[in-house]
Amino acid sequence: MIKRFFNNLFRLDAEETKGEYLFHRIFETIVIYQVIYYAWTWGVYLPRLGEMILPLGIANYLDVSFMFSPSFAYANALLITLFAVIGYIRKWRYSYLAAVLLMHLHYAARFSQGEISHGSNFTGLALLVFALAFAFFKEDAKRRRVAFGMFLFFVGTGYTSAACSKLIGTGIGWIDGRHLYLWIGERAVDKLSQNGQFDLNFLQQLILSNQTLASLILFFGLASEFLGFLMWFRKTRWVEGTMLIAMHIGVSLSMRIAFNSYLILLIVISYPWHRLLDQLLARWPDSVVNRYLEQKVAATP
Amino acid sequence: MLDKAIRLLLSLLLVYAVLVSTHLGEFWPFSIFPMFSKAGNPWTRALVREVPPSDTLRWEAVYELDKLPGEPFAMNQVGINTNDLANFVSKNKQWSRDKIGGMRSYFRSRLDDQAFIVYKVQGRLSSAGGDSVIVEYMPLLLMKPDTTLVNPNI
Repeated sequence: MIKRFFNNLFRLDAEETKGEYLFHRIFETIVIYQVIYYAWTWGVYLPRLGEMILPLGIANYLDVSFMFSPSFAYANALLITLFAVIGYIRKWRYSYLAAVLLMHLHYAARFSQGEISHGSNFTGLALLVFALAFAFFKEDAKRRRVAFGMFLFFVGTGYTSAACSKLIGTGIGWIDGRHLYLWIGERAVDKLSQNGQFDLNFLQQLILSNQTLASLILFFGLASEFLGFLMWFRKTRWVEGTMLIAMHIGVSLSMRIAFNSYLILLIVISYPWHRLLDQLLARWPDSVVNRYLEQKVAATP
Repeated sequence: MLDKAIRLLLSLLLVYAVLVSTHLGEFWPFSIFPMFSKAGNPWTRALVREVPPSDTLRWEAVYELDKLPGEPFAMNQVGINTNDLANFVSKNKQWSRDKIGGMRSYFRSRLDDQAFIVYKVQGRLSSAGGDSVIVEYMPLLLMKPDTTLVNPNI
Protein backbone atom coordinates (compact mmCIF):
# COMPACT_ATOMS: atom_id res chain seq x y z
CA MET A 1 0.00 0.00 0.00
CA ILE A 2 2.85 2.38 0.88
CA LYS A 3 4.58 1.51 -2.40
CA ARG A 4 1.32 2.15 -4.26
CA PHE A 5 1.06 5.55 -2.64
CA PHE A 6 4.59 6.54 -3.63
CA ASN A 7 4.20 5.04 -7.09
CA ASN A 8 1.14 7.22 -7.56
CA LEU A 9 3.13 10.22 -6.33
CA PHE A 10 6.26 9.77 -8.46
CA ARG A 11 4.90 7.85 -11.50
CA LEU A 12 8.43 6.66 -12.29
CA ASP A 13 7.26 3.72 -14.40
CA ALA A 14 5.24 5.81 -16.89
CA GLU A 15 6.71 6.95 -20.19
CA GLU A 16 7.34 10.71 -20.37
CA THR A 17 5.16 12.38 -23.00
CA LYS A 18 6.00 15.57 -24.87
CA GLY A 19 3.29 17.40 -22.94
CA GLU A 20 4.73 16.20 -19.67
CA TYR A 21 8.26 17.22 -20.65
CA LEU A 22 6.99 20.68 -21.59
CA PHE A 23 4.93 20.95 -18.39
CA HIS A 24 7.89 20.03 -16.18
CA ARG A 25 10.14 22.52 -17.94
CA ILE A 26 7.50 25.25 -17.50
CA PHE A 27 7.24 24.38 -13.81
CA GLU A 28 11.04 24.49 -13.43
CA THR A 29 11.20 27.80 -15.35
CA ILE A 30 8.68 29.38 -12.96
CA VAL A 31 10.61 28.13 -9.93
CA ILE A 32 13.92 29.45 -11.28
CA TYR A 33 12.31 32.78 -12.16
CA GLN A 34 11.01 33.07 -8.58
CA VAL A 35 14.43 32.12 -7.16
CA ILE A 36 16.14 34.86 -9.19
CA TYR A 37 13.38 37.33 -8.31
CA TYR A 38 13.84 36.72 -4.58
CA ALA A 39 17.64 36.69 -4.86
CA TRP A 40 17.65 40.22 -6.27
CA THR A 41 14.70 41.59 -4.26
CA TRP A 42 16.43 40.54 -1.03
CA GLY A 43 19.88 41.42 -2.38
CA VAL A 44 18.87 45.00 -3.11
CA TYR A 45 17.09 45.33 0.26
CA LEU A 46 19.88 43.91 2.43
CA PRO A 47 22.16 46.98 2.42
CA ARG A 48 19.34 49.00 4.01
CA LEU A 49 19.54 46.90 7.16
CA GLY A 50 21.91 47.68 9.97
CA GLU A 51 21.07 45.59 13.01
CA MET A 52 20.46 41.87 13.60
CA ILE A 53 17.25 41.38 15.61
CA LEU A 54 16.25 37.74 15.17
CA PRO A 55 18.62 34.97 14.05
CA LEU A 56 16.96 32.43 11.75
CA GLY A 57 18.39 29.18 10.39
CA ILE A 58 22.13 29.42 9.80
CA ALA A 59 22.17 32.80 11.59
CA ASN A 60 21.86 30.87 14.86
CA TYR A 61 25.43 29.65 14.28
CA LEU A 62 26.99 32.29 12.06
CA ASP A 63 26.83 36.08 12.27
CA VAL A 64 25.27 36.85 8.90
CA SER A 65 25.31 40.63 9.37
CA PHE A 66 28.22 40.77 6.86
CA MET A 67 25.47 40.29 4.28
CA PHE A 68 24.26 43.85 5.02
CA SER A 69 27.27 45.05 3.05
CA PRO A 70 26.23 45.84 -0.55
CA SER A 71 29.16 43.91 -2.02
CA PHE A 72 28.26 40.66 -0.21
CA ALA A 73 24.52 41.08 -0.82
CA TYR A 74 24.93 41.67 -4.56
CA ALA A 75 27.63 39.01 -4.93
CA ASN A 76 25.37 36.43 -3.30
CA ALA A 77 22.43 37.42 -5.50
CA LEU A 78 24.70 37.08 -8.54
CA LEU A 79 25.99 33.67 -7.44
CA ILE A 80 22.46 32.40 -6.81
CA THR A 81 21.45 33.59 -10.28
CA LEU A 82 24.47 31.93 -11.89
CA PHE A 83 23.97 28.62 -10.09
CA ALA A 84 20.24 28.65 -10.88
CA VAL A 85 20.91 29.24 -14.60
CA ILE A 86 23.72 26.64 -14.71
CA GLY A 87 21.36 24.10 -13.13
CA TYR A 88 18.60 25.02 -15.54
CA ILE A 89 20.77 24.43 -18.59
CA ARG A 90 22.11 21.20 -17.04
CA LYS A 91 25.78 22.09 -16.93
CA TRP A 92 26.51 20.98 -13.38
CA ARG A 93 24.34 18.56 -11.39
CA TYR A 94 25.13 20.14 -7.99
CA SER A 95 24.39 23.65 -9.18
CA TYR A 96 20.87 23.81 -7.71
CA LEU A 97 22.26 22.53 -4.40
CA ALA A 98 24.73 25.43 -4.31
CA ALA A 99 21.89 27.83 -5.21
CA VAL A 100 19.62 26.62 -2.40
CA LEU A 101 22.38 26.84 0.22
CA LEU A 102 23.21 30.41 -0.82
CA MET A 103 19.49 31.24 -0.85
CA HIS A 104 19.27 30.05 2.76
CA LEU A 105 22.07 32.47 3.71
CA HIS A 106 20.30 35.23 1.76
CA TYR A 107 17.00 34.53 3.56
CA ALA A 108 18.62 34.38 7.02
CA ALA A 109 20.17 37.82 6.45
CA ARG A 110 17.10 39.40 4.83
CA PHE A 111 14.71 38.23 7.54
CA SER A 112 16.99 38.97 10.46
CA GLN A 113 14.77 41.90 11.47
CA GLY A 114 12.23 39.84 13.42
CA GLU A 115 9.70 39.23 10.66
CA ILE A 116 9.44 35.56 9.70
CA SER A 117 8.27 35.62 6.11
CA HIS A 118 6.74 32.48 4.58
CA GLY A 119 6.13 33.90 1.11
CA SER A 120 9.19 32.22 -0.38
CA ASN A 121 9.11 28.84 1.41
CA PHE A 122 7.51 26.91 -1.45
CA THR A 123 9.92 28.43 -3.95
CA GLY A 124 12.78 27.36 -1.69
CA LEU A 125 11.27 23.88 -1.25
CA ALA A 126 10.90 23.51 -5.01
CA LEU A 127 14.53 24.51 -5.52
CA LEU A 128 15.61 22.10 -2.79
CA VAL A 129 13.74 19.10 -4.26
CA PHE A 130 15.19 19.89 -7.69
CA ALA A 131 18.64 20.10 -6.08
CA LEU A 132 18.24 16.70 -4.41
CA ALA A 133 16.72 15.01 -7.46
CA PHE A 134 19.61 16.28 -9.59
CA ALA A 135 22.21 15.24 -7.02
CA PHE A 136 20.84 11.71 -6.53
CA PHE A 137 19.42 10.78 -9.95
CA LYS A 138 21.19 10.73 -13.30
CA GLU A 139 18.30 10.45 -15.76
CA ASP A 140 16.68 13.77 -16.51
CA ALA A 141 13.12 12.46 -16.86
CA LYS A 142 13.38 10.67 -13.49
CA ARG A 143 14.81 13.78 -11.85
CA ARG A 144 11.80 15.79 -13.00
CA ARG A 145 9.32 13.21 -11.70
CA VAL A 146 11.11 12.77 -8.36
CA ALA A 147 11.34 16.53 -7.84
CA PHE A 148 7.71 17.06 -8.76
CA GLY A 149 6.48 14.18 -6.55
CA MET A 150 8.50 15.41 -3.57
CA PHE A 151 7.24 18.95 -4.09
CA LEU A 152 3.61 17.76 -4.08
CA PHE A 153 4.29 15.81 -0.92
CA PHE A 154 5.83 18.74 0.96
CA VAL A 155 3.22 21.25 -0.24
CA GLY A 156 0.48 18.96 1.10
CA THR A 157 2.38 18.42 4.33
CA GLY A 158 2.94 22.16 4.71
CA TYR A 159 -0.74 23.07 4.48
CA THR A 160 -1.86 20.29 6.82
CA SER A 161 0.88 21.37 9.23
CA ALA A 162 -0.42 24.96 9.05
CA ALA A 163 -3.93 23.77 10.01
CA CYS A 164 -2.54 21.66 12.87
CA SER A 165 -0.58 24.70 14.13
CA LYS A 166 -3.86 26.63 14.30
CA LEU A 167 -5.72 23.83 16.05
CA ILE A 168 -2.90 23.39 18.57
CA GLY A 169 -2.31 27.15 18.99
CA THR A 170 -5.95 28.15 19.41
CA GLY A 171 -8.26 25.14 19.06
CA ILE A 172 -11.44 24.87 17.04
CA GLY A 173 -12.40 28.34 18.32
CA TRP A 174 -9.89 29.64 15.76
CA ILE A 175 -12.80 30.09 13.34
CA ASP A 176 -14.45 32.77 15.54
CA GLY A 177 -15.11 35.63 13.10
CA ARG A 178 -13.88 38.25 15.60
CA HIS A 179 -10.36 36.92 15.06
CA LEU A 180 -10.63 38.04 11.45
CA TYR A 181 -11.69 41.51 12.64
CA LEU A 182 -8.53 41.68 14.73
CA TRP A 183 -6.36 40.67 11.76
CA ILE A 184 -8.08 43.15 9.44
CA GLY A 185 -7.30 45.85 12.02
CA GLU A 186 -3.66 44.72 12.13
CA ARG A 187 -3.33 44.77 8.36
CA ALA A 188 -5.00 48.21 8.23
CA VAL A 189 -2.20 49.57 10.46
CA ASP A 190 0.40 47.84 8.26
CA LYS A 191 -1.02 49.31 5.06
CA LEU A 192 -1.23 52.74 6.66
CA SER A 193 2.37 52.45 7.80
CA GLN A 194 3.63 51.21 4.43
CA ASN A 195 1.66 53.47 2.10
CA GLY A 196 0.59 56.40 4.30
CA GLN A 197 -3.08 55.65 3.61
CA PHE A 198 -5.57 52.83 3.87
CA ASP A 199 -9.13 52.13 2.75
CA LEU A 200 -11.25 49.08 3.48
CA ASN A 201 -12.23 47.22 0.32
CA PHE A 202 -15.73 45.88 -0.37
CA LEU A 203 -15.08 42.40 1.06
CA GLN A 204 -13.52 43.80 4.23
CA GLN A 205 -16.52 46.08 4.77
CA LEU A 206 -18.85 43.12 4.23
CA ILE A 207 -16.89 40.95 6.68
CA LEU A 208 -16.84 43.68 9.33
CA SER A 209 -20.61 43.99 9.10
CA ASN A 210 -21.32 40.26 9.31
CA GLN A 211 -19.62 38.12 11.94
CA THR A 212 -21.19 34.89 10.63
CA LEU A 213 -19.64 35.51 7.21
CA ALA A 214 -16.28 36.13 8.90
CA SER A 215 -16.56 32.80 10.75
CA LEU A 216 -17.52 30.95 7.56
CA ILE A 217 -14.50 32.39 5.74
CA LEU A 218 -12.19 31.25 8.55
CA PHE A 219 -13.81 27.80 8.58
CA PHE A 220 -13.24 27.45 4.83
CA GLY A 221 -9.60 28.51 5.25
CA LEU A 222 -8.95 26.06 8.07
CA ALA A 223 -10.67 23.18 6.22
CA SER A 224 -8.73 23.92 3.02
CA GLU A 225 -5.45 23.83 4.90
CA PHE A 226 -6.30 20.74 6.92
CA LEU A 227 -7.08 18.80 3.73
CA GLY A 228 -3.65 19.74 2.32
CA PHE A 229 -2.64 16.07 2.25
CA LEU A 230 -5.14 15.58 -0.59
CA MET A 231 -2.48 17.17 -2.82
CA TRP A 232 -0.64 13.83 -2.57
CA PHE A 233 -3.30 12.01 -4.59
CA ARG A 234 -3.91 12.46 -8.32
CA LYS A 235 -7.70 12.15 -8.07
CA THR A 236 -8.18 14.73 -5.31
CA ARG A 237 -5.38 17.13 -6.23
CA TRP A 238 -7.44 19.44 -8.44
CA VAL A 239 -10.22 19.77 -5.82
CA GLU A 240 -7.81 20.54 -3.00
CA GLY A 241 -5.70 22.77 -5.23
CA THR A 242 -8.79 24.77 -6.18
CA MET A 243 -9.76 25.15 -2.51
CA LEU A 244 -6.25 26.38 -1.64
CA ILE A 245 -6.24 28.82 -4.57
CA ALA A 246 -9.64 30.16 -3.41
CA MET A 247 -8.28 30.43 0.14
CA HIS A 248 -5.24 32.44 -0.99
CA ILE A 249 -7.42 34.76 -3.06
CA GLY A 250 -9.65 35.17 0.02
CA VAL A 251 -6.62 35.98 2.21
CA SER A 252 -5.43 38.44 -0.41
CA LEU A 253 -8.78 40.27 -0.50
CA SER A 254 -9.72 40.13 3.19
CA MET A 255 -6.31 40.62 4.78
CA ARG A 256 -4.34 42.15 1.91
CA ILE A 257 -1.64 39.51 2.22
CA ALA A 258 -0.57 38.33 -1.20
CA PHE A 259 1.11 34.94 -1.43
CA ASN A 260 1.73 35.34 -5.16
CA SER A 261 4.48 32.73 -5.42
CA TYR A 262 2.27 30.15 -3.72
CA LEU A 263 -0.70 31.05 -5.90
CA ILE A 264 1.26 30.65 -9.13
CA LEU A 265 2.84 27.36 -8.02
CA LEU A 266 -0.57 26.04 -6.90
CA ILE A 267 -2.13 26.91 -10.26
CA VAL A 268 0.71 25.00 -11.95
CA ILE A 269 0.75 21.86 -9.78
CA SER A 270 -2.96 21.38 -9.07
CA TYR A 271 -4.21 20.53 -12.55
CA PRO A 272 -3.18 17.98 -15.20
CA TRP A 273 -1.82 20.60 -17.58
CA HIS A 274 0.38 18.00 -19.30
CA ARG A 275 -2.74 16.31 -20.72
CA LEU A 276 -3.94 19.60 -22.20
CA LEU A 277 -0.49 20.21 -23.66
CA ASP A 278 -0.46 16.70 -25.17
CA GLN A 279 -3.86 17.32 -26.76
CA LEU A 280 -2.72 20.66 -28.17
CA LEU A 281 0.49 19.11 -29.52
CA ALA A 282 -1.47 16.24 -31.11
CA ARG A 283 -3.57 18.78 -32.97
CA TRP A 284 -0.49 20.15 -34.79
CA PRO A 285 1.77 17.09 -35.30
CA ASP A 286 4.03 18.86 -37.83
CA SER A 287 4.60 22.01 -35.84
CA VAL A 288 8.10 23.21 -34.97
CA VAL A 289 7.33 22.88 -31.24
CA ASN A 290 6.27 19.27 -31.77
CA ARG A 291 9.46 18.39 -33.64
CA TYR A 292 11.61 20.15 -31.04
CA LEU A 293 9.88 18.30 -28.19
CA GLU A 294 10.17 14.99 -30.02
CA GLN A 295 13.95 15.47 -30.12
CA LYS A 296 14.03 16.50 -26.45
CA VAL A 297 11.96 13.57 -25.20
CA ALA A 298 13.88 11.12 -27.41
CA ALA A 299 17.19 12.50 -26.17
CA THR A 300 16.16 12.18 -22.55
CA PRO A 301 17.35 8.89 -21.04
CA MET B 1 14.45 3.47 -8.75
CA LEU B 2 11.20 3.90 -6.79
CA ASP B 3 12.88 2.71 -3.60
CA LYS B 4 15.62 5.28 -4.04
CA ALA B 5 13.01 8.05 -4.51
CA ILE B 6 11.13 6.89 -1.39
CA ARG B 7 14.36 6.83 0.66
CA LEU B 8 15.21 10.33 -0.55
CA LEU B 9 11.77 11.69 0.35
CA LEU B 10 11.73 10.06 3.79
CA SER B 11 15.27 11.27 4.52
CA LEU B 12 14.25 14.81 3.59
CA LEU B 13 11.15 14.49 5.77
CA LEU B 14 13.38 13.45 8.69
CA VAL B 15 15.75 16.37 8.11
CA TYR B 16 12.70 18.66 7.87
CA ALA B 17 11.32 17.35 11.19
CA VAL B 18 14.66 17.60 13.01
CA LEU B 19 15.41 21.12 11.78
CA VAL B 20 12.00 22.63 12.54
CA SER B 21 11.77 20.91 15.93
CA THR B 22 15.16 22.27 16.99
CA HIS B 23 14.72 25.78 15.53
CA LEU B 24 11.32 26.89 16.87
CA GLY B 25 9.46 25.72 13.80
CA GLU B 26 11.50 27.64 11.23
CA PHE B 27 14.49 26.67 9.13
CA TRP B 28 13.98 28.05 5.62
CA PRO B 29 12.67 26.61 3.41
CA PHE B 30 11.29 24.29 6.08
CA SER B 31 8.55 25.53 8.37
CA ILE B 32 5.61 24.30 10.39
CA PHE B 33 3.78 27.32 8.92
CA PRO B 34 2.56 28.71 12.23
CA MET B 35 1.28 32.03 10.84
CA PHE B 36 -2.02 33.14 12.38
CA SER B 37 -2.01 30.10 14.66
CA LYS B 38 -2.62 32.13 17.83
CA ALA B 39 -5.96 33.73 17.01
CA GLY B 40 -7.45 36.41 19.24
CA ASN B 41 -4.12 37.40 20.78
CA PRO B 42 -3.31 41.11 20.90
CA TRP B 43 -0.97 42.27 18.15
CA THR B 44 1.79 44.86 18.04
CA ARG B 45 2.69 46.83 14.92
CA ALA B 46 4.34 50.19 14.26
CA LEU B 47 3.42 53.50 12.69
CA VAL B 48 5.46 56.61 11.91
CA ARG B 49 4.31 60.23 11.90
CA GLU B 50 6.27 63.07 10.40
CA VAL B 51 6.45 66.21 12.58
CA PRO B 52 8.36 69.51 12.44
CA PRO B 53 11.82 69.15 14.11
CA SER B 54 10.91 71.79 16.71
CA ASP B 55 7.92 69.79 18.01
CA THR B 56 7.69 68.49 21.55
CA LEU B 57 5.69 65.43 22.50
CA ARG B 58 3.49 64.18 25.35
CA TRP B 59 4.48 60.55 25.97
CA GLU B 60 0.92 59.36 26.33
CA ALA B 61 -1.10 56.68 24.55
CA VAL B 62 -3.65 57.83 21.98
CA TYR B 63 -6.67 55.74 21.01
CA GLU B 64 -7.84 57.51 17.86
CA LEU B 65 -5.87 57.78 14.68
CA ASP B 66 -7.19 61.29 13.99
CA LYS B 67 -5.64 62.56 17.24
CA LEU B 68 -2.05 61.61 16.36
CA PRO B 69 0.24 64.62 15.85
CA GLY B 70 1.86 65.45 12.50
CA GLU B 71 1.25 63.76 9.18
CA PRO B 72 1.26 60.05 8.26
CA PHE B 73 4.63 58.90 6.94
CA ALA B 74 4.72 56.08 4.40
CA MET B 75 7.61 53.67 4.92
CA ASN B 76 7.68 53.30 1.14
CA GLN B 77 9.34 56.72 1.07
CA VAL B 78 12.44 55.25 2.70
CA GLY B 79 12.14 51.84 1.01
CA ILE B 80 11.65 49.95 4.26
CA ASN B 81 9.12 47.16 4.72
CA THR B 82 6.78 48.01 7.60
CA ASN B 83 7.11 44.43 8.90
CA ASP B 84 10.77 45.13 9.67
CA LEU B 85 9.85 48.34 11.49
CA ALA B 86 7.07 46.59 13.45
CA ASN B 87 9.31 43.73 14.50
CA PHE B 88 12.11 46.10 15.49
CA VAL B 89 9.63 47.95 17.70
CA SER B 90 7.91 44.89 19.20
CA LYS B 91 10.92 42.62 19.78
CA ASN B 92 13.42 45.20 21.02
CA LYS B 93 13.34 45.59 24.81
CA GLN B 94 16.31 47.91 25.43
CA TRP B 95 16.80 51.06 23.36
CA SER B 96 20.60 51.07 23.49
CA ARG B 97 22.73 53.43 21.40
CA ASP B 98 23.15 50.67 18.77
CA LYS B 99 19.43 49.96 18.55
CA ILE B 100 18.61 53.65 18.24
CA GLY B 101 21.30 53.86 15.56
CA GLY B 102 19.69 50.91 13.76
CA MET B 103 16.30 52.62 13.83
CA ARG B 104 17.74 55.96 12.67
CA SER B 105 19.45 54.17 9.81
CA TYR B 106 16.00 53.37 8.37
CA PHE B 107 15.34 57.12 8.07
CA ARG B 108 18.88 58.37 7.36
CA SER B 109 17.93 59.83 3.97
CA ARG B 110 15.25 62.04 5.61
CA LEU B 111 16.63 62.94 9.02
CA ASP B 112 18.62 66.01 7.93
CA ASP B 113 15.62 68.30 8.09
CA GLN B 114 12.71 66.20 9.34
CA ALA B 115 11.61 64.62 12.61
CA PHE B 116 9.67 61.42 13.10
CA ILE B 117 7.66 59.87 15.89
CA VAL B 118 7.69 56.08 15.95
CA TYR B 119 4.54 54.64 17.50
CA LYS B 120 4.10 51.18 18.94
CA VAL B 121 0.56 50.24 17.93
CA GLN B 122 -1.25 47.53 19.85
CA GLY B 123 -4.63 46.05 18.97
CA ARG B 124 -6.89 43.79 21.00
CA LEU B 125 -10.47 42.63 21.13
CA SER B 126 -12.61 44.59 23.56
CA SER B 127 -12.70 42.85 26.96
CA ALA B 128 -16.31 44.00 27.28
CA GLY B 129 -17.27 41.45 24.63
CA GLY B 130 -18.79 42.31 21.28
CA ASP B 131 -16.75 42.56 18.16
CA SER B 132 -14.93 45.87 18.57
CA VAL B 133 -11.16 46.12 18.23
CA ILE B 134 -9.32 48.56 20.50
CA VAL B 135 -6.20 50.12 19.00
CA GLU B 136 -3.64 51.92 21.19
CA TYR B 137 -0.95 54.19 19.72
CA MET B 138 1.96 54.59 22.16
CA PRO B 139 4.78 57.00 21.20
CA LEU B 140 8.11 55.23 21.52
CA LEU B 141 10.78 57.37 19.89
CA LEU B 142 11.02 60.97 18.75
CA MET B 143 13.83 61.13 16.19
CA LYS B 144 15.12 64.61 15.39
CA PRO B 145 18.00 65.57 13.08
CA ASP B 146 20.48 65.80 15.96
CA THR B 147 18.98 63.64 18.71
CA THR B 148 16.59 60.82 19.58
CA LEU B 149 14.30 60.91 22.59
CA VAL B 150 12.98 57.64 24.03
CA ASN B 151 9.67 57.42 25.86
CA PRO B 152 10.75 57.68 29.54
CA ASN B 153 7.82 55.52 30.67
CA ILE B 154 8.93 52.32 28.93
